Amino acid sequence: MIVDHASAAEKFNANPERVTWHDATLWYAREKRDRAAAEVPEWETLRELASAIKEHTLSHLDEYLVMFERAAIANGAIVHWARNADEHNAIVHGILHSAGARRLVKSKSMLTEECHLNPYLEARGIDVVDTDLGERIVQLRREPPSHIVAPAIHLKREDIAETFVEHLGTEPGVHDPLVLVGAARVHLRERFLAAQAGLTGVNFAIAETGGIVVCTNEGNADLGVAVPPIHIASMGIEKLVPGPAELAVFLRLLARSGTGQRATVYTTHVHRPVRGQHFHIVLVDNGRTTQLGRTDFWRSLKCIRCGACMNTCPVYRRSGGHAYGSTVPGPIGSVLTPGIDLQKYAALPFASTLCGSCTAVCPVKIDLDAQLYRWRQVVTKAGHTGRMKRTLASVGGKLLAHPTLLAGAGRVARVVSRIFPQTLTNRFAGAWTKHREAPEPSPQSFRAWYAANRRGKK
Amino acid sequence: MTVALFAPCFVDQFRASAAIAALRVLERLGVDVEVPSGAACCGQPPANAGFEDEGAPALERFVRTFRRYDTIIVLSGSCALHVRMHAAAFGDDGAGVAARTTEYCTYLHDVIGLDRLSSLGAERNARAAVHIGCHALRGLGLASPSELQEPRYDRVRAVLSTVRGLTFADLDRPDECCGFGGSFSVDEPAVSARMGLDRLADYGKGGAELLVSTDVSCLLHLDGLARRLGVSLPVMHVAELLAGEVSA
Amino acid sequence: MRARDEMLTAVRAAKPAALPRPDLAAVSRFARAENLVAVFAESARLAGASVLLTTRGGVDAFVDSASKPNERRVSMLDVDGVHHDATADDFANTDLFVCEGVIGVAETGAVWLPLSRLRHRAALFLATNVIIVLEQSRIVNNVHDAYAAIDVAEEECGVFVAGPSKTADIEQMLVIGAHGPKALTVLLVEG
Repeated sequence: MIVDHASAAEKFNANPERVTWHDATLWYAREKRDRAAAEVPEWETLRELASAIKEHTLSHLDEYLVMFERAAIANGAIVHWARNADEHNAIVHGILHSAGARRLVKSKSMLTEECHLNPYLEARGIDVVDTDLGERIVQLRREPPSHIVAPAIHLKREDIAETFVEHLGTEPGVHDPLVLVGAARVHLRERFLAAQAGLTGVNFAIAETGGIVVCTNEGNADLGVAVPPIHIASMGIEKLVPGPAELAVFLRLLARSGTGQRATVYTTHVHRPVRGQHFHIVLVDNGRTTQLGRTDFWRSLKCIRCGACMNTCPVYRRSGGHAYGSTVPGPIGSVLTPGIDLQKYAALPFASTLCGSCTAVCPVKIDLDAQLYRWRQVVTKAGHTGRMKRTLASVGGKLLAHPTLLAGAGRVARVVSRIFPQTLTNRFAGAWTKHREAPEPSPQSFRAWYAANRRGKK
Repeated sequence: MTVALFAPCFVDQFRASAAIAALRVLERLGVDVEVPSGAACCGQPPANAGFEDEGAPALERFVRTFRRYDTIIVLSGSCALHVRMHAAAFGDDGAGVAARTTEYCTYLHDVIGLDRLSSLGAERNARAAVHIGCHALRGLGLASPSELQEPRYDRVRAVLSTVRGLTFADLDRPDECCGFGGSFSVDEPAVSARMGLDRLADYGKGGAELLVSTDVSCLLHLDGLARRLGVSLPVMHVAELLAGEVSA
Repeated sequence: MRARDEMLTAVRAAKPAALPRPDLAAVSRFARAENLVAVFAESARLAGASVLLTTRGGVDAFVDSASKPNERRVSMLDVDGVHHDATADDFANTDLFVCEGVIGVAETGAVWLPLSRLRHRAALFLATNVIIVLEQSRIVNNVHDAYAAIDVAEEECGVFVAGPSKTADIEQMLVIGAHGPKALTVLLVEG
């Protein structure tokens, strides 16, 4: 299904109060980020360093992968390689199947969302429980997350209360977050203690030491791997950093950028399985190498999934994460997903005003607005653009290159009506005047005024 | 030293008064400025809509028209940024034009200076909301954007501070995008309009009596929204305030 | 092995031209807090922790006051090393868990707890209330200094903990006590 961001966003805007709330809630996260960043005098230096470290690592990614694998194996981890989502899912299922594990608890992992691991495992009889509160809420509602850091940010407490009445047996009409969180704690505590395997995402993997790092606030990743005898860590191959000294740079930026915290509550490092446990690491490509090979877009792989670009994006805040139809929404999603399926996600690079706020907040300095601009060129060249736009652009391009056409014809409206088919101009004008008055053409163009008042005086 | 002024297509057609004001201000400041005919557009609108190739002839024509000038002043942050970023595709002439192209307020601030601007004697007793176009702000660096942790500066408000009597409205979000975004305004009308309405609400809250901007494109969008709402908020380009024009 | 070799070959072909590993010397010139204890306390409190300055001798009395006689308390203060015989069930109904941190980070209010300080990695998360003892002299300035001071790979696992567990997943409203502890106290002891 082809993603139609504009239509989805229009539906989202049918409820203006909800948009006001969504915008304000995410803007609050942006404000917290601003305060946290302002506390750090070396903030911009950290961003420079983080960007350079990621670019260095990506430019030596094969070497770092081998280094990481060697260290991880020496640590006693079992390392798997998956070229795509299917291979990843099969590896995870294989591990569970051979251990006879049927109950899996999972901490937040955008990679497993991207691979659609849950339906794959559920179809094979595995009970999968997402344990991050936001993820659990959307899992119970059978919805995708709408934000990578706050998966249920599109929901209000009343929505969540309804879901909990149905699935957790809470009292109808009770929607105090404190009570709801308490109910989820009891509900999930049982799942943790009964789990036969735990799966976590990976925020960073340290090449030199072969360890993985997971950052959470709830403690769910730790509980999920502390209890059951199997820990599976799924990671995209771009998660590597060279060593612990580099890791420190990213940890100073991640939580501050994402939620405005100085650090997440838990920054968990796993290097070796504890006695009696099996520790698996799955390295996943799933399109990342293809993106790495794209001159204009490889820098998108620097992303550390902080969510700051979503929080600051004025379009994301007013269209909601689901309008993007991709695992990762917002500006970073709009530069990552067209590379996976250009036709399906052709609309996303256009779901932006190119205001550049995303680029300026990005802790690893991804040139998001420039990449959106480049993707637009790729999309139109591939022909994934509506006829209206294509005609406007090609005829308009000729028109704009020839000022005599413009100048001689007087008012733009008349020129346009002469050159474009009426249906196109009506649709174009309709989109403009749905919410706004049309601009009044000046009585005399500047060009004409200049010719009449200045030409010849020089 | 030859200076050229470029008024983009939409200014030429929809806000000629801004270009006339911009020219008069430069002339009163003693700048020997020309407005060459030959280029109507820099090619930015199609390029930002994904049709860089279709926009290329316009940019090439821009380069040919302006290559003989030492300074090319563009009356739009968005267009100035496009020329600076992309004109180098057209050889040495293009690279030269890119390097010598500047945005109007930047020229006033950096080359003319605030003392000479004060000599214009502009006066306006009003509280203004200032909107710096996003490309002027984050692309050209007219002011420090709120995202960056760097010393605060604002060349636009500095320029406007030479207008006697003018005060600035305090805004909750001083540099949030207005939602115009070129083709975005017609591709995504719902979000575009909502973004603009939120800006207008912020201006209202700040007690703004007029809206002044570096970019006429943003103003046309916001003005269209305000008029549809029946909100009375005169909109002006910075040049119009400096020239002492009475806004429409 | 086919997947591995294919992935590595593909990465080799796709990767951009080599860029140098950045010099991290700049981090040693970053701002240093004058009073590490005060900054640590501020950061930890921001993260939702309680912070108390006391002496080594004051620890027992505080721990006693933090739990009622009928509550289940596990203290690691008198225990050395990892005890593999412990299971998660041993900690499932713990009301109070007490342990000692290796270092603290002034910048974040976080404390480093490798597995040997926890006895079982679930202990820290299953208890309702956690007390972490930390010597004031073991507070470092920032995250860079923290990683220079520890060996992250020394033990099976380790965690930096800043405050009690929390979530803001419902309307971005902060709720303390998600899956892990509902309260966390850091006792900063002299010495």
